[in-house]
Amino acid sequence: MSEDDLKKAIERGVEAAAATVQKKGRLVVTVPKTAAVSALIALRARGFEHLSAISCTDWLEEGQFELVYHLWSYSDKIHVMLKTRLPRENPQIVTASPVFPHAQTYEREIHEMYGVRFEGNPRLTPLLLDHWQGPPPMRRDFDTRQYVQDTFGSTPPVGE
Amino acid sequence: MDRAEILKTLKSPAKWGQKYSLWAVYFCTGCGVVEIPPVITSRWDAERFGVLPMATPRQANLFLITGYVSVKTLGAIIRTYDQMPNPKYVVGFGSCPVNGGMYWDSYNTIKHLDKYLPVDGWIAGCMPRPEAIFVAVVHLWQMIDKGIATGYERYKDNYEYYQTNQRAILPHLAKFAGAEAAPGRNS
Repeated sequence: MSEDDLKKAIERGVEAAAATVQKKGRLVVTVPKTAAVSALIALRARGFEHLSAISCTDWLEEGQFELVYHLWSYSDKIHVMLKTRLPRENPQIVTASPVFPHAQTYEREIHEMYGVRFEGNPRLTPLLLDHWQGPPPMRRDFDTRQYVQDTFGSTPPVGE
Repeated sequence: MDRAEILKTLKSPAKWGQKYSLWAVYFCTGCGVVEIPPVITSRWDAERFGVLPMATPRQANLFLITGYVSVKTLGAIIRTYDQMPNPKYVVGFGSCPVNGGMYWDSYNTIKHLDKYLPVDGWIAGCMPRPEAIFVAVVHLWQMIDKGIATGYERYKDNYEYYQTNQRAILPHLAKFAGAEAAPGRNS
């Protein structure tokens, strides 16, 4: 299946999905957050069986988080980036772990680092941080230097 | 051994023994541990200096903190240090244990190791060369000779200070039972 065929199939098969072919072998699909899991199911049925990563971006100015699911098809050699946006206030999305069981760990990390809640993920426990007390540390409004100053003591002055 | 050494050795054989039997805990805290395999193998051969790696902390007395120390690792380091028998020596290896190094504003890496453990010596650099470890070992010999490598006694004397700092970031850490034990058994 070529990129253009895939683009048409996704736009037809998933509600409110917009796909663009970025270059040969790479497709960017944007879906609303309610359609994210159905898009994952549709893609998996088309041979996209490798979920390489889930990443999260904090768009502070727009008040949104962006989740990107990176999918790869071994038969078609196409990389699909499935993007969806959530509101920054009380971010929630349905888990992808029934479709891709290993998504549980990625979601666990995003929950720890950004505070995104994945409904249905049975194991949203801390992964990397040890007894973390502060706000999720990868959010852009988290003041790292102030936190370091308060928690670990002095930091050297920095000229910028 | 030259003739002047003999008298010194007879005066305090314990120091002489401690000096030449430094067993390093094989504990890799960070990236600095890439320097350890060439040091302990034939290329630089730390055994010439009496330094050998030991898998268990209960049979070791030299603790090289190799590289950055994350909060989770600090808990393991404190547990390991508490298990080591006296006399024990801690050497911070690389910039990161000294002041955070390139992780100076990281939310999950401690900045000053000597707030949590008594440190006998530092090796600066990122990375230090394997030769720097031998310089540190020779310095440690001199410190043992002069009787100033007394980090384990400082830990006991100032345990309240260390414990407060440790519990400030690791509130769940178990209390070390040996803290109330009798003071230093060797001078």
